[in-house]
Amino acid sequence: MSDKSSTCNEKVFDEFFKSHAKLLRNYVYYKFGDLDQAEDIVQDSFIKLWNNCSKVNLDKAKSYVYTVATNLGISITRHQKVRFKYKDYVTQRKTDINQESPEFIMLEKEYMEKFKNAIAALPERQREVFLLSRIDKKTYREIAELSGVSVKAIEKLMHKALVALRKTIGNI
Amino acid sequence: MLDDKKDDIFLSRWISGELSEEELQKFQAHPEYKHYAKIMAGADALDLRSYDVDDELSSLKSKRHQKVPKKTGSVIKLWPYFAAAASIAIILGLFLFGPNESFSTDYGETLTVQLPDGSEMILNARSEAIFDKENWEKTRLVSLQGEAFFKVKKGSKFTVSTKSGEVSVLGTQFNVQSQNSFFAVQCFEGKVSVVNKNHTAVLTAGKAYRNLENTPENWNFSGHQPTWLTHTSSFRSIPIQYVFEELEKQYNIQIQKSNIDLKTIYTGTFPNNNKEVALRTVFSTLGMDYSISKDGKTVVLEK
Repeated sequence: MSDKSSTCNEKVFDEFFKSHAKLLRNYVYYKFGDLDQAEDIVQDSFIKLWNNCSKVNLDKAKSYVYTVATNLGISITRHQKVRFKYKDYVTQRKTDINQESPEFIMLEKEYMEKFKNAIAALPERQREVFLLSRIDKKTYREIAELSGVSVKAIEKLMHKALVALRKTIGNI
Repeated sequence: MLDDKKDDIFLSRWISGELSEEELQKFQAHPEYKHYAKIMAGADALDLRSYDVDDELSSLKSKRHQKVPKKTGSVIKLWPYFAAAASIAIILGLFLFGPNESFSTDYGETLTVQLPDGSEMILNARSEAIFDKENWEKTRLVSLQGEAFFKVKKGSKFTVSTKSGEVSVLGTQFNVQSQNSFFAVQCFEGKVSVVNKNHTAVLTAGKAYRNLENTPENWNFSGHQPTWLTHTSSFRSIPIQYVFEELEKQYNIQIQKSNIDLKTIYTGTFPNNNKEVALRTVFSTLGMDYSISKDGKTVVLEK
C-alpha cells in the first residue's frame, strides 16, 4: 500500500478530515436535525475510519465516512423522535439592514421565522437537497454524488422542495 | 413553465440559471415569481454555526488516543455519552482533590480563568473555584462556591460540583449559581445535566433550573450569556434576601435589614458598576427608604 493513499498516514488522515468534516457535519445535520449530535457523529465516524485505516484506502474513505455517519444517525434517531432543530442554529447573515425601516425589518424577521419553520417541516430528502444547494452551494451533480442518485432525481427534489416551501409559507 | 405539471424540474433549472432568456422573462412576469424570489432571498440569508475544523481535529485526536483499537459496536457508541452525563454525576461528589488550582474573586470583581483544555470559566463576585490541574485530562471537574459562567470545549465529561448539586456536560455554555439554599443553572448552548439532591434535570439551550429552599423549578429564558457578564445582576421572582446578598457582594457593603421581611419576592435588575443607581433601583422598587453610613460601607433600611 503506498503511503500517500493510506488513511493510516497521519498527514493523509488530517488532510482528509479537514477537507471533508464540515460538509459531512452539515449533511448529517440536515438529515437528522441536531447540530450538536451531528458534530459528535462526525467525530465518531472519523475515529472509526482511523481504527479501520488499514482496510479503508483514501479513495474509499469518503463514501466510508458518509455511510458510517448515516448509519450512526439512523441508529440514534430510531430511539427518538426526529425534530429538526432549525431555529437554534441557523443565524441570519447580517446584510445592511440598517437602512431599512423598522416595519420592514419586523416583517423580514417574521418572514424568516416562517421560512425556517417551513424548512423544518420539509421531508428529509427535500430539506437535505435544498440546504446542501443553498447553504453549502453544492451543485446538483455534487449532491447527486453524495447521496448516490441521479442528477435528475436531485433536480426533482429541489423543485418539490421549493413548491412545498411556497405552499407552507403562503402569502406573507 | 411553472404551471406545466410535466415540467417537474422547472424551479431547479431556474435556481441553477439554466432557464432560457425567454423562459426567464415569462417566469418573472408570473404572479408566483415574487414569492419564489423571496424564498431564494431568505435562503441566502441563512447560515450555520461555524465549524472550527482544527479544533475538531485535535479533539478527535485526543479521543482517538483514549480509545485504543478496542472494538465496539459503532451503533451504540454515542449512547454512553448521554447516559454518562446523567448517571455518574452523583458519584463524583465524593471525589477527593489532588494538587489543586484555586481561584477566587473579591467584592465586585469578575475573573476569567482559562482551564487546561482551553475551556473558559468566568467567576462572578465573591466566588471560589477549585480544580485539579494534574488530573484535568482524566477528570474535568471544577468545585464551585458562588456563581460562574462556563464555556466548555468539547471532549470528555465536564462536571461542576457545588454544595447543593452537580452539573455535567460534554461541551456547552452554562451558568451555575450556588449560595446557601439557592442553586440555579442556566444552559446557553448544548445540553446540560443537573443533579441536585433528589432531583435531576436535563437542560437544553434556553432552559434553566433552580432549587430554592428545596422547591425545584424549571423555566425558559432568552439571551446568549448571563447578564452579569455585561455588569447587570438580574433576578426572577426570588426572596429579597438573595438580592441583598448580591448587592453586598458586588459593592462590598453591609445591608442592615432589621424589621424587613426577607421573604418578599423580587423580580428585576441592577447594575454592577454604579452603586448609587443600583441601590436606588432596588430599594425604590421595594418602596423602602435607606441611608448610607459615612464610610459608605453600611446601608440602613427604614421601611
